[in-house]
Amino acid sequence: MSEGDLATTGSREQTNPGDQPIVEAAAVSVAFDGQAVLDGLSLAVEPGEILAVIGPSGVGKTTLLRVLALAIEPDEGTVAVGGVDAWAADESERLALRRRVGMVFQSASLFDASVARNVEYGRRVRRTWRERLDDELRSILRSTDPSSTVLEALSVVGLAEKADQPARSLSGGEAQRVSFARALAYDPDVLLLDEPTSDIDPRNTAVIEDAMAEARDRGIGVVVATHDMHQAERVGDRVAVLLGTGVTEIGPTAAVFAEPTDERTRKFISGELVY
Amino acid sequence: MPPGTLATAGPPLLVSFPFDPVYVRSIIGVSLYVSVLAVVLSTAVSLPIAVAMGFSEFPGRRFLAAIITTGMGFPSVVVGLVVLFAVSNQGPLGAFNLVFTREAMIMSQFVLATPPITAISMAAISGVSPDIRDAARVLGGTRVDVALVTIKEARYGIATAILAGFGRAISEVGSVLIVGGNITGPDGVSKTRTLTTAIQLEARQGRYETAMILGAVLVLLVLLVNAIVVRIGDEGVMRG
Repeated sequence: MSEGDLATTGSREQTNPGDQPIVEAAAVSVAFDGQAVLDGLSLAVEPGEILAVIGPSGVGKTTLLRVLALAIEPDEGTVAVGGVDAWAADESERLALRRRVGMVFQSASLFDASVARNVEYGRRVRRTWRERLDDELRSILRSTDPSSTVLEALSVVGLAEKADQPARSLSGGEAQRVSFARALAYDPDVLLLDEPTSDIDPRNTAVIEDAMAEARDRGIGVVVATHDMHQAERVGDRVAVLLGTGVTEIGPTAAVFAEPTDERTRKFISGELVY
Repeated sequence: MPPGTLATAGPPLLVSFPFDPVYVRSIIGVSLYVSVLAVVLSTAVSLPIAVAMGFSEFPGRRFLAAIITTGMGFPSVVVGLVVLFAVSNQGPLGAFNLVFTREAMIMSQFVLATPPITAISMAAISGVSPDIRDAARVLGGTRVDVALVTIKEARYGIATAILAGFGRAISEVGSVLIVGGNITGPDGVSKTRTLTTAIQLEARQGRYETAMILGAVLVLLVLLVNAIVVRIGDEGVMRG
């Protein structure tokens, strides 16, 4: 199903019919302590696009991203990755689906290790225990250079030269860039970014926005949750507006910002609707 | 063997010590053997409990945590008495003939070291940011991977827990005296005598010089183990 099927969603849905959505949430509802956060929400992410999810703070953008990352099981509805219903699958299959998704959190959440060890984490956990043990022994017996994949992911965010530094020595903006590289390094099909630039300066923000574009150009579906509407306009191929407990409008960014079809969306974009 | 009457066993020394080196070495050996083994066993039991309790909420968790924390204050002589009863002929482990053995000492030190190792590890693991666990999981980690990441992040707290457990074990007097018996063999080599029980014996018999030297050895051992554990923790930072 497409987002256009939703009664609560604006009608300007444009998806390439030839593309299978890489992640699709259908009629998803999530409540915490009886309080509905998402109610019947649906949206799909195509390969090679950036979908910006905008909405006020506390509206449920993070919850939506966690649902798409298979970190939260919805109370109702389905989440499919690559066309496979993740919560109908068994645990090992779901792990395989989760491994097709990368996520960057609002805080960098780097491990207390070197930059390179952080970036290679996703690849490391995908190896067999035997391979991991061999790697550990090798790194204990002699210092090993970061792999080309790690350096390539770091070069996307301009930090290849910091591969050997402890992650805790980085600035906040650099840490967030490493967090992006960490999610990119294992070549996910979809990348979920939760307010990735809300706590960092304009220069680091520009680096991450460029990296989003590069990920998109590699064919990765990118979802970026942001309360910064200017950022959504800059980076988003499409934009989804999250108000209340659902998506009020979704479509090409320029069109949604220029001519919103939903009244609540129009008021939110114009600043009349204050949360 | 009375240490004051120096034996000639062991290699000749250039300086004269007020104790028998063989005797002291055997005491250090017994102390380290029972304490290190007890702490290794305690850590093997405590860490999974700490991870399970630090990770999840379940009915009775707080009650269980309170019991573990209370265990940190167990009177050691009572633990010694209970273990002595357990290994005595009338006790459930009577068939194993463990009275006045190192194994019985390990059992009592295990009981004493487990609560501090569990409680402090649990606090350290609970203190790891949920964002770190989320990141480990969302990046494709299994439950075991997430647990390993959490343990690595909490390693300084866990090292402190192990050191606290080791400190409690190696400085223990009451329970090891009760279950071990403070025994040396006819050759003067310690069977169940530890540094602490030897210090107690030497002081009681007025050999303060020897007691002080044994005390210094005990302090040095604790410092050495601390340094090794801290060093391992630092090495782990870069490998992560």
